[in-house]
Amino acid sequence: MSDEITRRSLIVSAAFVPLAALTSNAQTAAPARALAASERKILDAFVDRLIPADELGPGALQGGAAEYIDRCLADYLAAEKDSIVAGLHSLPEGFADLSPEKRDAVLTSIQNQPFFNRVRRLTLEGMFGDPHYGGNVNFVGWDLIKYPGPRPAVAPEDQKMGVEIKPYHRSAWGSDHNGH
Amino acid sequence: MAINLKPADVVVVGLGAAGGVAVLPLARAGLKVVGIEAGTWMDPAKDFKADEIFNNVRAQVTTSQKANRELPTFRTDPSQKAARRGTQHPMMNAIGGTTIHYHAQSWRLKPWDFKTKSEVLKRYGASYIPKGSTIEDWPLSYDDLEPYYDIVEHEVGVSGKAGNIMGKLDPAGNVYEGWRSREYPMPPLRTSDYLEKMLAAARSLGWKPFRSPAAINSQPYKGRPACAYHGYCDRGGCHVRAKNSTCFSTIPEAVKTKHLTIADRAQVTRIVADSNGRVTGVTYIRSGQEYFQPAKAVLVGSYTYENVRLLLLSKSKAFPNGLANNHGQVGKHYFGHWDAQAGAGVTALFPMDLNVWYGAILSQGVVIDEWADDSFDHSGLGFIGGASMTVNMEKHPIAAAAMQTFGMAPQWGSGWKKFVHENAGRWTSAYIQTNSFPYENTWLDLDPEVRDPLGDSVIRVTSGPKPNEAAAARYAQDKMELWFKAAGAVAVTKGNPAGPGLSTHTYGGTRMGVDPGASVVDGFGFAHEVPNLGMIGGSVFGTSGARNPTLTIQALSWRTAEHLVKNWKSITG
Repeated sequence: MSDEITRRSLIVSAAFVPLAALTSNAQTAAPARALAASERKILDAFVDRLIPADELGPGALQGGAAEYIDRCLADYLAAEKDSIVAGLHSLPEGFADLSPEKRDAVLTSIQNQPFFNRVRRLTLEGMFGDPHYGGNVNFVGWDLIKYPGPRPAVAPEDQKMGVEIKPYHRSAWGSDHNGH
Repeated sequence: MAINLKPADVVVVGLGAAGGVAVLPLARAGLKVVGIEAGTWMDPAKDFKADEIFNNVRAQVTTSQKANRELPTFRTDPSQKAARRGTQHPMMNAIGGTTIHYHAQSWRLKPWDFKTKSEVLKRYGASYIPKGSTIEDWPLSYDDLEPYYDIVEHEVGVSGKAGNIMGKLDPAGNVYEGWRSREYPMPPLRTSDYLEKMLAAARSLGWKPFRSPAAINSQPYKGRPACAYHGYCDRGGCHVRAKNSTCFSTIPEAVKTKHLTIADRAQVTRIVADSNGRVTGVTYIRSGQEYFQPAKAVLVGSYTYENVRLLLLSKSKAFPNGLANNHGQVGKHYFGHWDAQAGAGVTALFPMDLNVWYGAILSQGVVIDEWADDSFDHSGLGFIGGASMTVNMEKHPIAAAAMQTFGMAPQWGSGWKKFVHENAGRWTSAYIQTNSFPYENTWLDLDPEVRDPLGDSVIRVTSGPKPNEAAAARYAQDKMELWFKAAGAVAVTKGNPAGPGLSTHTYGGTRMGVDPGASVVDGFGFAHEVPNLGMIGGSVFGTSGARNPTLTIQALSWRTAEHLVKNWKSITG
């Protein structure tokens, strides 16, 4: 049972195989996006208020959270595209051009709705996930929460309290991959 | 038409935690073993990644189409119509099965777990047996299983510190554990500043903390490297093979004997019995073709749900209600574990960065057993059992940022951003596992409507309320709160123990016992009604213990396989 035969049969017969065995070998194509420009503009304006740019640094917009969501909807979350687009269109006309304060008022009024919570959850994934998927640009999400990055090996010193650990700015998918 | 294959001595259904261990003593004995597995080999270098989206968000390692197609339905009361919750089966299909992504906690159950009923009657009286429970003593004792725990700890590779070697207690280990014949093959995984803080806090309360036992190498073992503590082993595999998943440990050893043949990407659909009530082999489907694999004995180790389903689907003249089910016991005495997934978790916020980002999940952990099993006097408490409590390392960034705000900040905007900037590295949670028992109100059967794509019914779970377990979990949560506060936590929240749904810790359905009217298999795992059919996995358990099941599953599997080897002629007739 050589590795070669195992790998080949695995690709031919996908039925029972964990997704990892299929997706990890896929060639990386240019990322597809799902949203029309007008829809993306609304999403940009939305995530921009969930995690705003401020004195603590870049926010979700600069961190690529909307880009992450846009790519997910073209691919892994394609089945969710219609409901997300409907949610974006349910926001008041001209939402994207409103002042930050007025956008906050709109979002406060819907913050208990499933659509809001779904966008919030996806924004967290985009901001704090691996940059391979288009978000966490320049590792701004990891730096915000002081997550020091996925190291290949972790020494006892890296598990000490009260010491600053040098951030390890690498994607799990490549040494300098930043998603762009 | 099914293609008839060359006869095997033994067919093992499923090569995960249970079957992946059972094949080794069988193959070493020179029996011709065929292992049938729905998944296939995974490649650590390509299939496993240090990526939270890949592992946890998208479940790329653990998503298995076969398992998901047979996802059980669930209801909490027989008057309800059962329905599926979500789309993801808790278990995965692969060579190695769910030991690929498990936390590798490798516990022995306590002597008390094997004789809970008689011990409770003796110490507290009949009124302390939970109402409606069907609990019975196991047909074997801890002493009977000890040699097999020892074998499996050394064959698989387990790190830990003994607390009781032949009755001599050592407070560096768990002084509440049953006796063991010798030390673990490897010392425990290392601690960290956070774990040292929790060790000191536990001792300040007068408790006896110890380090988790884990099937993760703390030093190189059997040609595999030591753990690199980089994490991402939860819902992912270990890319350096330091976690001793059976695909890296026992299965390759069995392959080396040349007596094990693996049929991968193959789904077993029926276990076939003759008119004399003996099994003759199994049918399976591979690449659209049906095969019949004859065998002199069959061991079924596919997981609790599928073990029960295969028996119930395998009807014949001798077994019109399903294989080994002429006493109506298949599916009975099923129960899930009351753990963090069942709402029993506790979360704490500290006033300083804990630096728990890296590590080896629960396995780089510290445990308290004071409030588990029968380690404390239950007089007047209104419940039996209790819970083990584990604090551990490793936190991923999305989960860290998705933290609860303890009522101290809004859920979004600059106020939230400031809160997570300060606190994402300052919170942690504890894992609580409660002693859980079988009840009349909880069982498995075939769903009358929902079917898999082959047209076979899926399992239906009926799971009623269990006030004993809820009370035990709450009692442990209060102790956990004390422990976190003794370590300096500024806020603590406790989950609502609402009971288990589908999980990786489920038990019973083909329970072990001496009475064919109250169990399916005997003390060696062989069916009362079918002498050459063995069941392996959590489906044979009679109680859960307050800890992870895998090592006990593996010790029992080894013992079942060895029993088959030693009694080959009488079992296979």
